[in-house]
Amino acid sequence: MNKTTKLGEEFKINLIKYSFSLFAVLLIGSLLIMAQGENPITAVSSIFVGAFGSKVNFGNTLHWMAPCMLVGTAALIAFRSGVMNLGLEGQIYFGALAAGLAGYMVELPPIIHPLFCIVVGGIAGMLWALLPAILRLFFNISEVISTLILNYIAILLAELFTILLMKFEKNMSVTNIATTKILDSARLLVLIKGTNATSALIIAAVILVVVYLVYKYTVVGYELKQVGQNLKFAKIGGVNASRVFISIFLISGFIAGICGATETIGVNYKFISRFSANLGWDGVMITRVAANSPGGVAVVSFIWAAFKAGAMHMERNTVLNRYVINLLQAIFVLFISIDYKMLYTNYKERKFIKSQSLKERD
Amino acid sequence: MSFDYILETRDICKNFGKLAANDRISLKIKRNTIHSIVGENGAGKSTLMNILTNIHKADSGEILINGKEVKFKSTIDAARQGIGMVYQEFMLMKGFTSFENIIVGFEEKKGIAIDFKESRKKVERICDEYHFPLPLDTLIDDLPVSVLQQIEIVKVLYRGAEIIILDEPTSSLTPQGIRGLFSAIRALRDLGKTVLFITHKLKEVFEISDEISVLRDGKLIGTYQPSDVNPQKLANLMVGREVILKANKAPHEVGETVLKVDNLSVYDKDGIERVKGVSFDIKKGEILGIAGVAGSGQQHLSEALYGLTRPKQGSSIEFNGEEISRGNPLDRHKNRIGYVPQDRIGSGCNVNGTIWENCIMGYHKARGFDPPWLLNYKQAHDFSRKVVEDFDVKIQTIEDRVGSLSGGNIQKLIVGREFSQQNILLIIEDPTRGIDVGAIEYIWEKLLDFAAQGVSVLMISHDLNEVMQLSDRIMVMYDGHLYNAGNYLELTEEQIGLIMMGGSLHE
Repeated sequence: MNKTTKLGEEFKINLIKYSFSLFAVLLIGSLLIMAQGENPITAVSSIFVGAFGSKVNFGNTLHWMAPCMLVGTAALIAFRSGVMNLGLEGQIYFGALAAGLAGYMVELPPIIHPLFCIVVGGIAGMLWALLPAILRLFFNISEVISTLILNYIAILLAELFTILLMKFEKNMSVTNIATTKILDSARLLVLIKGTNATSALIIAAVILVVVYLVYKYTVVGYELKQVGQNLKFAKIGGVNASRVFISIFLISGFIAGICGATETIGVNYKFISRFSANLGWDGVMITRVAANSPGGVAVVSFIWAAFKAGAMHMERNTVLNRYVINLLQAIFVLFISIDYKMLYTNYKERKFIKSQSLKERD
Repeated sequence: MSFDYILETRDICKNFGKLAANDRISLKIKRNTIHSIVGENGAGKSTLMNILTNIHKADSGEILINGKEVKFKSTIDAARQGIGMVYQEFMLMKGFTSFENIIVGFEEKKGIAIDFKESRKKVERICDEYHFPLPLDTLIDDLPVSVLQQIEIVKVLYRGAEIIILDEPTSSLTPQGIRGLFSAIRALRDLGKTVLFITHKLKEVFEISDEISVLRDGKLIGTYQPSDVNPQKLANLMVGREVILKANKAPHEVGETVLKVDNLSVYDKDGIERVKGVSFDIKKGEILGIAGVAGSGQQHLSEALYGLTRPKQGSSIEFNGEEISRGNPLDRHKNRIGYVPQDRIGSGCNVNGTIWENCIMGYHKARGFDPPWLLNYKQAHDFSRKVVEDFDVKIQTIEDRVGSLSGGNIQKLIVGREFSQQNILLIIEDPTRGIDVGAIEYIWEKLLDFAAQGVSVLMISHDLNEVMQLSDRIMVMYDGHLYNAGNYLELTEEQIGLIMMGGSLHE
């Protein structure tokens, strides 16, 4: 009995959490949309059509799903073990740049070439992630700060490298800063013609499945979970916390780097400075909503991708700006992050105290 | 306006769950005295003080100041009514000067701006009057502990305290610092203040008190004049609880030395020496009990023994003849040393994890799976079921969350995990703290069983009765030192209690 009631309560709190957040966001969203003189239903249906209305539209959704899943997995690995890697954006940039260079500087047969680019991108992201890990372990600098700052450094550094490499003029406009186009052999396979839905999706899915299997069936996965839930307990149990910390950073950075690489060799076919519209932060939000579960990351990535594809369509067909969707997504994450369980217990406690003091008065 | 008692409590009760932390405490504090409140850890001293400063609300009872009943709305309100508390852990903000720390929250104001001049005058007046030569403009980061304490005292005086509560004020001071503190306390009394002095060190009590109140198990045992009691009697009053449980220990032979600790010193992260060159050994099949008041260094001792903190150079921990002081917890597991930490929830288990996830922690690496990287569910579940069955942990399935179990069941689970791995030595802290009588008896029985089978046990406990019931040999930790306290049943509870409070048997 004990177990069912316990599970039941957890389930209830989760249900309340997600449905309340959804309801709140729908309400706020409707008000926001109406304030701009648009009908909320028109906006929603426009998003829906944009995401699923045609083969091409659906292809766009799938295209967005790949980077969402990759960066979501990268964030998952970090947050599940309590490591605050907020530097995904920077790691994406280094991965993207490295893959872009590997795409035109090296000549390799097809299939092998894109895989090579992806591994190079992953390693670049990993090396960039090594920096905050070292800062934390040897200089005791909180990774929250260092990863945040390193994002800006990474974006500008990638830009500087591109300028130096391509021998651009200093005063060139930012939007034109890009590397040479990659060779055709380095391109990812297009799954749906006329869209950017590529084999990146397969790579993302494979990585997510591997991560799931590692968590479920290996000793390392067991340790990673325990470290995240109670570090002291794991340390006493003989887990080498420093080694786990470094590995988490490296793996997280590796996958973020792959995310950047697939954007370069699957979508843009070159490294473009400032190409990522805050993908790194999408990853943080996706994991947050998915409550650190690999299955959840797959589902939430799909929803996130649908919104990304649909938002463009909505922008074209209504008076609304697509950033309205970003705003609502962020608000949704905020609502999800509320500790409803604590609110509930506090509420119960207060009610109890009130009834006690009433009794006293009698 | 002359009432004899500046502060009075009437029938103060406070329960935490089923535990009665304060049970009808009626205390009377005479104006202009130094009143010591003594008792073991968990006797209810801190709870009572927290009620006086309104950190906790009493379930029932009254507080009277100058004979009038008062009800505090907040901690600040309690301070306004004249009760000031100097906590054991100083509440000072780094990066600010002594002066800023003293006036914070109670600054003299000129409109909405802080009147630094007036505040400064007030602080300087207090320092002069009570002879605290404080470096007012120095950042507190650069000041020694004894000065920080003076700053705390000046702070409560600045806030207008008439009654000053000092919570274990000597625990972080050097002997010279203590002498300085005592003369300051006497000066406070001579200038009209009343001091409540919370401690568990008997020597200090007799040195400074005008009156002594003893708390035990949440009850006020009595208030005494220092001339009416001696250290022996006071220790008796403090620890002389009725023995509810008997372990029925059978004396038995012990084997060769398993663990030999020599000159072990441990520093905490602030660089304070917490374990001061202790030496002891444990024989095969022996239960060595270490008694002592909380905070005497037990935590640091066990962490160093288990490889969680590195001891000072020159320390030696030998296990079966092998030097292990530089090893880590994984090495300890592999050496077949088990550890049951004092903080059950914080470090003994993962309340969000399942039963089996909790059972295999440590086992997963030290005993291992085949291949070592693959989590073998069958093996993990079998081991967990064995722990649960052998140690009578009451669960539904091994997929239950540990957080849904009672404290006693969690403790059985942790003890079971560490005992089910054919360990040779077990380090166990407070084996039965806060669990029900049935579980206590069960764990005691198991401990004696395993010792009889040749497992060595180092038991560190704050429950003197437990130490006396189970140990073949008893040592007492006091202020980072270990003192021999004889073999099983050689000394009485009162005699050991006396050593725990820093007294000596030969006085």
